[in-house]
Amino acid sequence: MAELSNVEIKDLTCSYNGQTVLADFCLSAESGLVLAIIGPNGAGKTTLLRAIARLLRPRRGAVLLGGEDVWQLPPRNVARQLALAPQTNGLSLPLTVEQAVVLGRTPHRGWLLPFSAGDRAVVDRVLRQTGLLDLRTRRITDLSGGEQRRVILARALVQEPQVLLMDEPTANLDMKYQTEILDLARHLAHHNDMTVIITLHDVNQAALYADRLALLAEGRLLSTGVPGDVLTPAWMEQAYNIPVIVTRHPLYDTPMVMPVVERARGRRALSEKPV
Amino acid sequence: MTIQRYAILITGLAVLLAIVLVLSLGVGAVAIPPERVLAALADRQGLSAPRTDVIIVWDLRMARTLLAGCVGAGLAAAGAAFQGLFRNPLADPFVVGASGGAALGATLAITAGLTFTGVGFGPVPLAAFVGSLLAVAVVYAVAEVGGEVPVVALLLAGAALSTILSALVSLIMLLNDRDLLEVFTWLMGGFSGRSWPHLWASAPYLLVGLVAIWLLSRPLDALAFGEETAQSLGLPLTRARSLIVAAASLTTAAAVAAGGIIGFVGLIAPHAARLLFGSAHRRLIPASALLGALLLLLADDLSRTLLAPVEVPVGIVTALLGGPFFLYLLKTRQKELGGG
Repeated sequence: MAELSNVEIKDLTCSYNGQTVLADFCLSAESGLVLAIIGPNGAGKTTLLRAIARLLRPRRGAVLLGGEDVWQLPPRNVARQLALAPQTNGLSLPLTVEQAVVLGRTPHRGWLLPFSAGDRAVVDRVLRQTGLLDLRTRRITDLSGGEQRRVILARALVQEPQVLLMDEPTANLDMKYQTEILDLARHLAHHNDMTVIITLHDVNQAALYADRLALLAEGRLLSTGVPGDVLTPAWMEQAYNIPVIVTRHPLYDTPMVMPVVERARGRRALSEKPV
Repeated sequence: MTIQRYAILITGLAVLLAIVLVLSLGVGAVAIPPERVLAALADRQGLSAPRTDVIIVWDLRMARTLLAGCVGAGLAAAGAAFQGLFRNPLADPFVVGASGGAALGATLAITAGLTFTGVGFGPVPLAAFVGSLLAVAVVYAVAEVGGEVPVVALLLAGAALSTILSALVSLIMLLNDRDLLEVFTWLMGGFSGRSWPHLWASAPYLLVGLVAIWLLSRPLDALAFGEETAQSLGLPLTRARSLIVAAASLTTAAAVAAGGIIGFVGLIAPHAARLLFGSAHRRLIPASALLGALLLLLADDLSRTLLAPVEVPVGIVTALLGGPFFLYLLKTRQKELGGG
């Protein structure tokens, strides 16, 4: 089983400034699958990703990468196995697309090793895969939000990770870009056998693209499993504290969660539980 | 920009620098035309070239001109490094307090009787290095908020610390009036009276610092995306930052020890280099160094000719030219810099 489950989170407790954000958290992610972390704002989704990415030292428990505690591994070794495409872009320096993406090779090159033909091949492949070939000499500060997202993803991908973490990859993107980026994430898991872990706000998008879901609320894992097991009215209402109905996607038959909204009040009282 | 185009531009810049160097040797109280400078350069012993030309070129002007070039290169590279480290285009050695710290360190060393003696790693630059490191550490500690250094906090912390440091320098000068003139003329920033021992005492530090900064290009690039990204790329953050601070402080210290307080070169040169050569540090740093050398050579030429035969300290020239540029940057880029 060890080779199947390459990210294992064991009894993880994390806190910011003394305040517990994640408590006794256990979860594992398998290679070849997309795991989506969902949950309301402030549930601890991004904290969880940061802890997995070795950016936040847990107070208790551990994140195991291939069976080893990430904090026992040198940062460079972690960066060769695991890459994070963060949400905040921080693209303040007007590097070209290519220069920015090449930075992802850092863990493979050390500080001084020259850029090899192997590095070049990886960068070219990833630029093609992320549709950035035509933009390679453009300055990243001149790109649109969707293009910048692709640059960040490309930088993560040239690390050649086995585990890819994506923090809200669809935030502030239009439908087309959202679909493209999630399609790519799914492709990487299913065809390149990566472990892909994504935080998402849109639970229906999560149902559509992820193989497994993990539902967080207030720093705890409420439910995990295939979308049909997690996206139930009971779990949704417990996590989000609003009444919902769950139906099926007309094309893919994945669960679709719909909140019972205020405007329905005239016809149906909010307190009336959906069946 | 392709690597070929970069190589051509950099070579062009180096050739331009060489030309300005030759012309600078001819500039001063006694003007020597370029062809006579070249003749004197080729004839160190003064066998065929006029004896006075050889003395002026080799003994009076060569060391100070080379020193000005080295100091300019050092300040500019240090500026580029500080700007990358602080993720802030206004961070130059002057602004972040490194110059002030170096000045205090060097002043203490000079009043303690240490001088620019011997070849190699002299004691005055070393004292300046310690002062510079401490000053940057203090400014960083004060201005940093969660890994970011907001521009306002940086400018305020740097300005406050620089004021304290210069007050301390003044106090030391008052208490040691024996050394008053030596410290004062040096502090004004300039290369008047600088000769070979000054060059030999500072150049090794400058060279080590410049190469170190250049070798740190990749961490500097990674840091530009913020500390979390740098960390997630496997960069040992604390070590990388410490090395960058050390290399930039060393370069600043050597430059200040050799030339005194010379402001704005570390701001203008990297800025121009970024416009011409892009922002990747591997290319930016050599370009900044060359442009910095060029700028300071020209400034030194101005300082020798503006009020000839009186020499205006070059620090005054760069402040009068660079100060308005700094204010212009602050005004035009306020929106993108703001927030902090």
